[in-house]
Amino acid sequence: MDTILELQNISKSFDGKPIIKELNLEIYKNEFITLLGPSGCGKSTLLRIIGGFETPDTGRVLFDGKDITNLSPDKRRLHTVFQKYSLFPHYDVADNIAFGLKLKKKDKAYIEDKVQYALRLVNMEGFEHRKPNSLSGGQQQRVAIARAIVNEPEVLLLDEPLGALDLKLRQEMQRELMKIKKEVGITFIYVTHDQSEALTMSDRIIVMNQGIIQQMGDPKSIYDEPQNAFVADFIGESNIIDGIMLRDYLVQIQGVDIPCVDIGFKPNEKVDVVIRPEDLSIVEPGRGFTIGRVMEVIYQGAYYDIRVACGDFEWAIQSNNPAMPGSMVGLSILPENIQIMHKPRSSDEQIIEKN
Amino acid sequence: MNRRNRELLASPYFIWSIGFTVIPLIVILRYAFTTAGGTFTLENILAIGNAINRKAFLFSLEIALICTLLCVLLAYPLVMVVRRLHISRRAFMLFFLILPMWMNFILRLLAWQMILSSNGILNFILQAIGLKPLDIANTWAAIIIGVVYDYFPFMMLPIFNAIADIEEDVIEAAKDLGAGPLTVFTKVIFPLSIPGLKSGITIVFVPSMTSFVVADILGGGKLQLIGNIIEQEFTRSSNWNLGSGLSVALMVFVFISMAFTIKDDVVREEPELARVEGSDKPDRRERAA
Ligand SMILES: Nc1ncnc2c1ncn2[C@@H]1O[C@H](COP(=O)(O)OP(=O)(O)OP(=O)(O)O)[C@@H](O)[C@H]1O
Ligand SMILES: [Mg+2]
Repeated sequence: MDTILELQNISKSFDGKPIIKELNLEIYKNEFITLLGPSGCGKSTLLRIIGGFETPDTGRVLFDGKDITNLSPDKRRLHTVFQKYSLFPHYDVADNIAFGLKLKKKDKAYIEDKVQYALRLVNMEGFEHRKPNSLSGGQQQRVAIARAIVNEPEVLLLDEPLGALDLKLRQEMQRELMKIKKEVGITFIYVTHDQSEALTMSDRIIVMNQGIIQQMGDPKSIYDEPQNAFVADFIGESNIIDGIMLRDYLVQIQGVDIPCVDIGFKPNEKVDVVIRPEDLSIVEPGRGFTIGRVMEVIYQGAYYDIRVACGDFEWAIQSNNPAMPGSMVGLSILPENIQIMHKPRSSDEQIIEKN
Repeated sequence: MNRRNRELLASPYFIWSIGFTVIPLIVILRYAFTTAGGTFTLENILAIGNAINRKAFLFSLEIALICTLLCVLLAYPLVMVVRRLHISRRAFMLFFLILPMWMNFILRLLAWQMILSSNGILNFILQAIGLKPLDIANTWAAIIIGVVYDYFPFMMLPIFNAIADIEEDVIEAAKDLGAGPLTVFTKVIFPLSIPGLKSGITIVFVPSMTSFVVADILGGGKLQLIGNIIEQEFTRSSNWNLGSGLSVALMVFVFISMAFTIKDDVVREEPELARVEGSDKPDRRERAA
C-alpha cells in the first residue's frame, strides 16, 4: 500500500508536560484510520500537528514523501472537520461550503456544481440559503463535512466530529460517514474516544494512551487480541485478573490451573489474564474452572449482564440466559479465549517497553 | 418573578427618562418652532443653512467623520494584538486602555492643551531631538487629537468584545480551508466584528459631532463646531429659540445617519433570530411568560 502521510519521531510538550512521546506512524492512501484513546491522551494534539495548527518539538511530518512539518495549515492538501462544527456564522450554508473554492478563485459555475454535489453527498439539498445558527447539530456537522470535502483534500482529518450528537444521530452519521468515505475515496484520519465508533468504522485503529501508541491493527485484531491490559480494558469490557504462567499452555488463576494456548512466557511468570465477558459461560457448580456466587443480573436487551463473585474477584459475564441472584454457579472458558499478557512492572510499563 | 414585577423594576429608569429626556425634548421642540414672541416659525430650524452655521456644521461633520475613521483604523490593529495575548495580559492591556477614562474629561483636555501648546511638552521633546517645533495648538489637528483620544476606548471596546467572541475554531477552520492571515481578517474576523463596529461608530460619531468642549479648549475658540454655536446661542446670545432650532436640525441629521447605520440589523438579522427562537427553543418563551 502507498503511504500518504508519515509521522517520524514526533514529540510535543505543553508547559513542560510531555503530551506526545516519540511517536511514529505511517498512514496509507485511502484508509480509514482511527486514533482511539481516553480523554487527554493527545489525540487532538497529534491531529493538530498533522493539520498544521501545532508544531512538534521534535520529529517530522511527511506528506507524499515531502516534509511539511513547518508548513502553515492553509498550504496543506488536507482539511479538518472540527468537533464544534465551526461554521462561519455570517455565511449561509452555500457560502460556507464555497469558502475554500472561492479562495482558490474557481469560476462560478464550477463552484455552484461542487456545492450542489457536496450538499447531495451529505444529504442537505435545499439548505443552501439557511444560516448555520438555524441548523441542528447534526446538520451543522454535515455542512462542515461538505465544506471540507468540496476542496478535494487528499486527507480528511476529523476530530471527534460526532462527539456532540446524541447516540441515535451519531450512529446514523457513522453510517453516512462511511458511505461518504466510500464515495470520495480519500484518506480519513478519525479521532474518537468512543471504542464502538472506532470498531464500526475503521480499517485500522491506533490505540493511544499517554501520548504513546499502545497497539495498532484492524478492529478485529484489536478487539480479539489486545496486546496489553490497557488496550484490553479500554476496548470493550474485560475481566483482567492476576495469574501465574506455570509453563507453556498452562496458567494458574486463583489457585486453579487452567489450560490455555499461550506460550513464550518465563516459567512461573506473573501475568495479566484477560477474558472477555461474552467468552465466559455459566455452568453447574463444579463443572467449570471456578465456582462463585451470582451477585447481580441486569437485563441489557440483547443479553444479560451477570456479576459473579469468586473470592475477592468479581467476574463480568455476558450471557443469553439469566442466572438466579444469590445462587452458586460454575464458570467455564475455552482455552483459545484466554488472553495472557506480561505484567507491567510499573504503571507506565507500556511506555518503558515501547521505547 | 412575574412580568409585572419585573416591569416595576424599570420604573426608576422611566421616571428618569421622562424627567430628563422627554420633557426637555418637548420644551426644546416648542422653542425650536416658535419665535421669541411665541408664533410658529420654521426659521430657527432653517437657520442651519446660513453661511456661518453651515460652515460650522460641515466642519463638525468633518471632525466627526475623521475622528470615527481614525478610531476605527487605530482600534482594529490594537484589538488584533490584544486578542492574541494570554488572558491575564489581556485584562491588563484593557485596564491600561480604560484607565484614562477614569480621569475627568476636562482635565484630560487641559493636559493635551499643555502638551500641544507652542512651548509645551511636545515641542520641547521635538526640539530636544533636533526637530522643528510643530504649531498644533488651536488647530484642526489639535481638535482631532482631542476627540480621538477621548472617544477611542468607546470604539475599541465594542470591537474587541465582538472579536473576542469569535471561536478560535472558526478562525482555524478558515486557515484550514486555505485562508492566509489577511483573508482570515477580511473574510471572517472583520465581518463578525461588524456589530461591534456599528455600536462603536454610534457611540463615537454622535458625541464627536455634537461636542463643543474639545473645540473650546483645544481649538482655542477660533474654530467653531456646530456645538459651539448652539452653546453660544443659549449662554451668550440668550436666543433659546435659535439654539433649540439648530439642535433640532442637528438631532434630525444624527437620527437619519444612525438609522442608516443600524438599518441592516433590523432588516436582516431580526427575522433570522425570530425563526431560530421560534423553532428550536420554544421553552425559552414559555419560561418568560
Ligand atoms: N495549547 C495547549 N496548551 C497547553 N496544554 C495543552 C494544549 N493543548 C492541549 N494541551 C494538553 O495536552 C493534553 C492532551 O490534549 P489533547 O487535546 O490532545 O487530548 P485528546 O486526546 O484530544 O483528549 P479529548 O478526547 O478530551 O479531546 C491535555 O492534557 C491538554 O490539557
Ligand atoms: Mg480532543
